[in-house]
Amino acid sequence: MAALVWFTMGVALWHFTVFVPDRFRGGIVGAFLGATAGAMVSGAAAQIALGKGIGETDIATAVYAIPGIVMGLAVVYAMGVRAGVEAERI
Amino acid sequence: VSNRRRNIFILVFVALLVVGSAIVVATKTTTLGLDLNGGTRLIFQARPTPQNPTIDGSDIDRSIEIIRKRTDAFGVSEPEISRIGSDEIQVGLPDVSNASRAEQDVGKTAQLYFYDWEPNVIPNPVKTNVPNGEADFSRLYDAVRFASKQTPECFENKCTTTGPQYYLFDSRTHAWIAGPSQVKEDLFAQLHGQTQPPNSVILSVPQGTLVVEEGPNGQAAPDDFNSPDAHWFVIRDRPALSGTDIKDPKPNTDDLGQPIVTFSFTDTGRQEFSDVTKAISERGLQNAPPGVAGNSQLADQYSGHFAIVLDQQVTSRPIVNFVENPNGIDGRNGAEINGLSAQESRDLSQILQIGALPVTLDPISSETVSATLGQQALDQGLKAGIVGLILVVLFLLAYYRFLGFVAVLGLAIYGLFFFALIKLIPITLTLPGIAGLILTIGVAADANIIIFERIKEEARGGKSMLSAISAGYRRGIATIIDANVITLITAFILFALATANVKGFAFTLGVGTIASLFTAVVFTQAFLGQFGRARFMRSPTALGASPEQRVRWHFDFTGLSKYFFSVSGVILLIGALGFATKQLNLGIDFEGGSRITVGLEKAATVDEVRSTVEAAGISAPEVTRAVNNELGTNVFDVDSKASPAEVRSVQPALQSQYGIVPNGFNATTVGPTFGEQVAKSAIYAIVFSLLVICGYVAFRFEPKYAVPVIIAVIHDVLITGGVYSLTGREVTSGTVAAFLTILGYSLYDTVIVFDRVRENVPRLPRATFSQIVNRSMSEVLTRSLITGLSSVFLVTVLYIFGGATLQDFAFAMMIGLLSGTYSSIFIASPVLTHWKEREPAYRRRRERIEEQMGGIVPAFPEENLVAREGGPEEPVRAETPIPAAPAPSRSQVPGVVPEPPGPVAPPPPPEPPERREPSVPAGAPLEGDGHGGGEGEGPAGGDGKPDVGDEIAEPDRPELSEASAAALRRLREQRGGGRQRKRKKHGRNR
Repeated sequence: MAALVWFTMGVALWHFTVFVPDRFRGGIVGAFLGATAGAMVSGAAAQIALGKGIGETDIATAVYAIPGIVMGLAVVYAMGVRAGVEAERI
Repeated sequence: VSNRRRNIFILVFVALLVVGSAIVVATKTTTLGLDLNGGTRLIFQARPTPQNPTIDGSDIDRSIEIIRKRTDAFGVSEPEISRIGSDEIQVGLPDVSNASRAEQDVGKTAQLYFYDWEPNVIPNPVKTNVPNGEADFSRLYDAVRFASKQTPECFENKCTTTGPQYYLFDSRTHAWIAGPSQVKEDLFAQLHGQTQPPNSVILSVPQGTLVVEEGPNGQAAPDDFNSPDAHWFVIRDRPALSGTDIKDPKPNTDDLGQPIVTFSFTDTGRQEFSDVTKAISERGLQNAPPGVAGNSQLADQYSGHFAIVLDQQVTSRPIVNFVENPNGIDGRNGAEINGLSAQESRDLSQILQIGALPVTLDPISSETVSATLGQQALDQGLKAGIVGLILVVLFLLAYYRFLGFVAVLGLAIYGLFFFALIKLIPITLTLPGIAGLILTIGVAADANIIIFERIKEEARGGKSMLSAISAGYRRGIATIIDANVITLITAFILFALATANVKGFAFTLGVGTIASLFTAVVFTQAFLGQFGRARFMRSPTALGASPEQRVRWHFDFTGLSKYFFSVSGVILLIGALGFATKQLNLGIDFEGGSRITVGLEKAATVDEVRSTVEAAGISAPEVTRAVNNELGTNVFDVDSKASPAEVRSVQPALQSQYGIVPNGFNATTVGPTFGEQVAKSAIYAIVFSLLVICGYVAFRFEPKYAVPVIIAVIHDVLITGGVYSLTGREVTSGTVAAFLTILGYSLYDTVIVFDRVRENVPRLPRATFSQIVNRSMSEVLTRSLITGLSSVFLVTVLYIFGGATLQDFAFAMMIGLLSGTYSSIFIASPVLTHWKEREPAYRRRRERIEEQMGGIVPAFPEENLVAREGGPEEPVRAETPIPAAPAPSRSQVPGVVPEPPGPVAPPPPPEPPERREPSVPAGAPLEGDGHGGGEGEGPAGGDGKPDVGDEIAEPDRPELSEASAAALRRLREQRGGGRQRKRKKHGRNR
């Protein structure tokens, strides 16, 4: 259930990336992967660190996913910007 | 063969099929499933036996064969016995209402062994004042604890187990919880959470030692191991004979008229029986004091016993009197099993006659539906189907007029074919199957809607009705095939992977989809082709295709997608919080447990019913009042974590206390392992369907089209799940079917939108992808709305009339339909747009248009400056004016008036062929570089090529947005007459 919460959070926040200039590596789909993967990683890390079971969820479970989503999106964005710069150089 | 002849041939063929179907419907009976007919459904999991330490397919097949023989012997008509997965067997027994007896009759392993009793009994050390053979234990825990201290040893390699047997006890009360089991983990299979409960202890009995149960005073051993009537022996597992040594078991009565089972021995068995009874007799003689040898009655107390043990229960323990049988018993007269009721003796003799199962069958799920509730469900399902059909018919007639009549005729023929197929195959009609059937009505109607919308587009484009019909079918067929292949893939995967209830749904959905393709495409085309020349067919109004009947959409779908994305994002955020705080209310199908629906004769309160149920041995039952007119006014639902055995104890308790109305006891019990399996199979079905469908979309379209499809489906499933979480509705196996249908529906809808995008890509070779998508969506939105609406009719009807099971299904479907329609338009297409616009070719188009339009990319391709400027002088067609100006696209900065573009560069030189997008086929009508025509072809050229002999539709020229109009005016002023020359130079086929 916790994994479902994190994944849903990732998909939910990904929707708002349309307000960010589309420089994600892989575009909107890359952002989707970054958001969902980040959500799962950060959610799982927090859950393990707090010693909670995968079935135990509360409002904090949803919050644990947010740092991962932001980081995942940031990484994909940075990759996209870098790829763009390199392409311009070429 | 001319078209006319072909049409006549098809119509005659259909007429013959109609007659054939009518005969089948009139003469064949419909096979109703247990949920509609009443009966008992049992699901068993196979476990290894000593003879079969590992289970393979042949063991399951053999077990199914034996079960079938048993059900035949018990007189059950048309049992449904099928294999589920690798080690489970489902047994459906129509009209059988006693689940307990059915479980015993069907699932009894019937491992029969015969023991020379006294030498094998390990006496209870506490009981020193009784003969060894009578030194029993009054509690199972004490017997098992004593047995657990024995040394493992397989005496003479005759032991009947392959290893130790495990038991689970309450560590404080020493009450039995589970066992015996040869796998430790199996002890927890029937328990909540499938883990060892706290305050419990596991004891193991080593191989070579058995704990067997015996009933009181020669009666049958009670099924409840905690019963005070049961007593226990610890014996060495060294049988003298087994069930394979007997033959001809028969129900009989003894001298006192008590029911028994008599049997004789095989030749080998007779010899062994003779040897062992002789040994018992000789031992009795040796143990007897002098003087007893001549007294038969006195000899009894010194004689030994010969025990018959069936599935670790001592069914009979006759004395081998050494006075009466000094040389043992030769076995010619066979032997007998006593301590049975008349029914038990009949059943056991049948079971022994058929033979032992090669595996042990553990019941993991049972469901009993009374005939009354079954009939009620059938009535509700049929009512929902009929009302749904009427609504769709009315809607089609109102909207499509004569075409609607043709569609209704097609639907009627489809209904007849489908019903005949159900009877002919035969398909067992279940409640989820009826849901599938009703949905196929929607699928059949949608196929017509897709084609009719095409026909109307063609007719409005100026074609004759015959041309419009021909072109409409030609262009609609690819879409219909793509969409229906998706539905078929979903149905097939559901059928292959999902559990029983969902299988029925999938099968009817699959068969219905194929039948609907035939009637909606082949029949209606032939019918319209044949009657298309009729006078009344010449009027577009009769077909709902006159220009004033047109609903036109001019909406910047992609430009405004960010707002729709935001709405979805917020909904999903709420859903995520719902999952986190309220989770999902998983029903017993997933979590295991039992649900009893009972109609009582006497009035009772919830508390009274709860007390009675608790007294019957069920802990923490949730008792609620239910409304069910068929079961009277005192109807209660009792939910608990009770095992099938515990549920059985409730019926007599309620019967004695309040009385139960006839056919008023309905119980479903699902073991946790089965629930887990249901959930797993659902997840596998979802993931696998998605993968296969994406593969199909990637193959039929291009790989990039597959990803938005997945994202849209994820969106729909999460939103539906979120609604379930927030509303607290129970998720049942019916909900899973609905989820999977949502998946199919969402894909179906998205494919139809993408199909139009694919069609428009080569027709608009200079438009940006967002413009292509906007154009495509404006063309298919009417169809999406009509289809969505007709499906919502059906689902609403299911919700209102469908009864509890169909209501679950309908609720999920309703949410999913709304979400699916929304996501195919506002999620999948914008994601595809965003992704495709990153491709260099589309980026170049966008840059070029932005350059020409002063940084603006209009929402629709016909607003592009080059298109406007190049076309005939404002040749706006005399159609209904567009009510609203198009909204600015994503690249347009709201509120900023673009700078005059300055000297406009001449149109870019023609791209060399190799630079063109590969999707543009050679010879495709290209968008004029200001030369009109191309962007406004309307429905024509669906395959990217102009239709030979077809009139090309005039372009739709909607009014420009203010910004576009201003830019256009400025450009015209600056270009002056130079454009005319350039136009001639570059030409439209550049």
